Amino acid sequence: MEWLEILTLALTFLTLLALGVPIAYSIGLSSLCTLWVSMDSLTDFTTIAQRMGTGLDSFALLAIPFFILAGQLMNQGGIADRLIAFAKSLIGWLPGGLAHVNIIANMLFGAISGSAVASASAIGGVMHKRMVKDGYEPEMSASVNISSAVTGLIIPPSNVLIVYSLASGGASIGALFVAGYIPGFLVGLTLMVVAAYFAVKKKYPRDPIAKFSETWQAFVAALPSLLLLIIVIGGIIGGIFTATEASAIAVLYALTLSLIYKEISWQDMPKILLSSANTTAIVMILIATSMAMSWVLAFENIPQSVSEAMLAVSDNPFVVLLIINITLLVVGVFMDITPAVLIFTPIFLPVVEQMGIHPVHFGIIMVLNLCIGLTTPPVGSVLFVGSAVAKVRISQVIRPLLPMFVAMILALLLVTYIPQLSMWLPEVFGLVK
Amino acid sequence: MRKTIDNILEKVLIILMVLMVVNVTWQVLSRYLAKWGVISQASTATEELARFLLIWLGLLGASYASGKGMHLAIDLLPQRLEGKKQQLLKRLINVLIVIFAFLAMVIGGGRLVYLTFALEQSSAAIGIPLGIVYIILPISGVLIVYYALSDIFQAD
Repeated sequence: MEWLEILTLALTFLTLLALGVPIAYSIGLSSLCTLWVSMDSLTDFTTIAQRMGTGLDSFALLAIPFFILAGQLMNQGGIADRLIAFAKSLIGWLPGGLAHVNIIANMLFGAISGSAVASASAIGGVMHKRMVKDGYEPEMSASVNISSAVTGLIIPPSNVLIVYSLASGGASIGALFVAGYIPGFLVGLTLMVVAAYFAVKKKYPRDPIAKFSETWQAFVAALPSLLLLIIVIGGIIGGIFTATEASAIAVLYALTLSLIYKEISWQDMPKILLSSANTTAIVMILIATSMAMSWVLAFENIPQSVSEAMLAVSDNPFVVLLIINITLLVVGVFMDITPAVLIFTPIFLPVVEQMGIHPVHFGIIMVLNLCIGLTTPPVGSVLFVGSAVAKVRISQVIRPLLPMFVAMILALLLVTYIPQLSMWLPEVFGLVK
Repeated sequence: MRKTIDNILEKVLIILMVLMVVNVTWQVLSRYLAKWGVISQASTATEELARFLLIWLGLLGASYASGKGMHLAIDLLPQRLEGKKQQLLKRLINVLIVIFAFLAMVIGGGRLVYLTFALEQSSAAIGIPLGIVYIILPISGVLIVYYALSDIFQAD
């Protein structure tokens, strides 16, 4: 009878989360309690410890600390400036030019730094002053920045997709990375449509079309930073190195680049290394306890029970995906993206796989969905940082953010129901069968 | 005391991070050097070592982050409460952290280390006892317990 276990797990987990116990420890404690129902305590403790240890024992996971470190090395002012200048020369002439520059710069910087929060503060910090000077309302500028900052988590390289690969039990990281391009650009594009609508309505200024020589110069200046993406993704697609090896190359490249640009000095290194180690550890302990929890889930046959319950409601893929999307949107409102991916992948993936949905496609749906939650109150990290950078209150940005939410949810529906948006590119490169 | 532990942890974490980068970089390089015939064969030990370093970095770092209060949490309730009630809730949270770290990491982790030593399990490539890898579980557990207890008692 697994309903007792499901109840124990759900109740302890939700209570601990609501009290404010760190998510990683909530996951660990509720797993501990659930396993207690069916085994003696000493075996229970040892099993959880063992699953935590083996959960981290993966070469693929090493890409996470390296991409974090590379991102922090690249996260120094100069790179943001060069990417903004490049984006401006490309699309500054569109109506609401600076809003589009903000969106494109976030897509590029987010991909390079791998952090939506870093992107919202680095790009938003520079763009906000310029946009306000150009007549944008501070709330409008903040909402453009906040909504577009999350695209970097879908456009590769992306640590969240690596976490998903682990939680899914081995979906190819290379395929997931390549699958993220079109959906990531699609989100950017829908946000640009919203920005253009408001630009026309509110008569925001636009730039003259840049001369080719200007665009070329801006491109050359941004190229060293963009090259990081080309080396990493090119290397993985071309089979030259694995994602983990690519991430180590990214660290060396970022280090060389920032030393050449004199953005950082050797004295800054201990601080950057410690901060990367700390960010890594926060993700790793979540992974460790989540791997223990997903073992408990499997041991108690919980995914099968959930799967049967969902299929009893409907066996129509359209409906099931809708239910899952709505559930995840609610989850994303309260929970950060990494723990949400770790907890819900083992529960939902078996359901959708039965309906013939590819794990790579589902990974993109899930990550895109949970990205939206990062921009919503009450606990959206990107919302907090984006509002702080623009010095506006969170309650003020909600209204201008609403059309952005609609745009992102539209993109989510397209990505959910048109598998080719995710699967076409990985198929072209022969990364999925 | 707490400051000293923080300082030591910071140094160890930085060293682990550097070792990981050097290690994996050497792995990529050695594969190409072996392909071009500069060295006889690609390094096999590095992959295993890198994985073990990550386990250490992740768990030791988790105790450091615990001390700094940096773990992800949904802090809606603690933020709503004020004064005494907030203090009380924070203590309760720390007590729950102590329970988890003590039971799963110190007791469970300790027993895991004991079992792997007793069964003489060692790693496939480098051949070090797995107990040495897993010993970081009880070590981090003790540190997490220490930080949480120190938060409970200094909050007065």
